[in-house]
Amino acid sequence: MAKKIYYEDINIGDAMPAFTSDPITRTHLVRYAGASGDFNPLHHDETFVAMFGMPRVIAHGMLIMGITSRAITEWIDNKCLKNFKVRFSGMTEPADLVDFENTKARATITVTGNVVNKFAEGGENRIQCDIQAVDALGGVKLTGSFIAALPSK
Amino acid sequence: MADKSKLGMEFPTYTFEVEKGKIAEFAMAIYQREDKDQVSPLYVNQEAAQKDGYRDIIAPPTFQTCFPTWAAGGLMPIIQALGINLFKLLHGEEEYTYLGAIHPGDMMTGRAKVVDMYEKEKKDKPGKFMEFTVIETEIRNQRGELVIKSRSTLVER
Repeated sequence: MAKKIYYEDINIGDAMPAFTSDPITRTHLVRYAGASGDFNPLHHDETFVAMFGMPRVIAHGMLIMGITSRAITEWIDNKCLKNFKVRFSGMTEPADLVDFENTKARATITVTGNVVNKFAEGGENRIQCDIQAVDALGGVKLTGSFIAALPSK
Repeated sequence: MADKSKLGMEFPTYTFEVEKGKIAEFAMAIYQREDKDQVSPLYVNQEAAQKDGYRDIIAPPTFQTCFPTWAAGGLMPIIQALGINLFKLLHGEEEYTYLGAIHPGDMMTGRAKVVDMYEKEKKDKPGKFMEFTVIETEIRNQRGELVIKSRSTLVER
C-alpha cells in the first residue's frame, strides 16, 4: 500500500519511485495466463511460436501493464487512480532457466515516470504522470500515462 | 483487414461474477508471487481494505482484463466478426478510466462497441498501411453503476 501523498507536495517534473520487477520466467507467464484467462499459446507454447520463426514465447502485454500498475499503486493509493493508459511498443521474452544469469536482463522490467501536469478537474486536484516500462537492456516495453486525484492538505 | 462497415457494432453483454480467490490469483500473477500474503493487502485482506475506506477488498487496476476472457471468449468473437487477421494482430493500446471500485461478489457486465477504425501509413514502408480498430467497453456493477470505461486499440500490421 502506498504512503499518503498530498497534491501540494508534488511538483511538475517530479519522478515517481522507480520499480523493478523480478526477472519474468515462463512460470510467471503461466500464472498470468491462468489468472487472466488469456491462454493464447504465444505466451506458453514454444512449438507454436516456432511456426512463426520466433525463438521463444513472449510475455502478455497485459502482464507488463499489470506490473506497471503495481509500480503506480506502490506510489499512490489505488483510490486516487482515475485513468491509466499504455501503448505497447516492444515484446518481452522471459528469462531461460538454463542460462538465467545471461538472459534475466531482457526479462527484468523497470517502471519509471515523471509528473508532467497538475490541474483541477471535476472538483479534484489531479496530476498526470508519464510512465514507461523498460527492460534491463534498454528495450522499451510500453509507454503511457496515468492521472491521479490527490488529497490536499 | 478489418471490415470498416462494422464501425459502431456492439457485441453481446457479458456477465462476470467477481470472486475473492480470482482477485488474489490475479494479484499474485502481477506481483510475481506464490503467496497471497506477498501482495498488497487491499487485494486479499478485508480488514486492511476497510481500514482504507473500502467496504471490502478491491481488485487491482487491470483486473477487468479477465472479464471478457472468462465470460465472453476473449477477443475471438470480436476478431471473427470484424474479419481481423489473427496472424497480423497486435495489442496496440489499452486505457482504463476508473469511476468506482470492484469488490468480491460484484456481478460485472460489459458491452464492447467498435468506436473507431482507421489506418496509418507505415513509416518504414510507404504505401503500406496499418489498420487500427478501437473497442470501448462500459463496465458496470450489479447496481448499474459505471465502474470502469475501457478502451482497447487493436492493430493489424
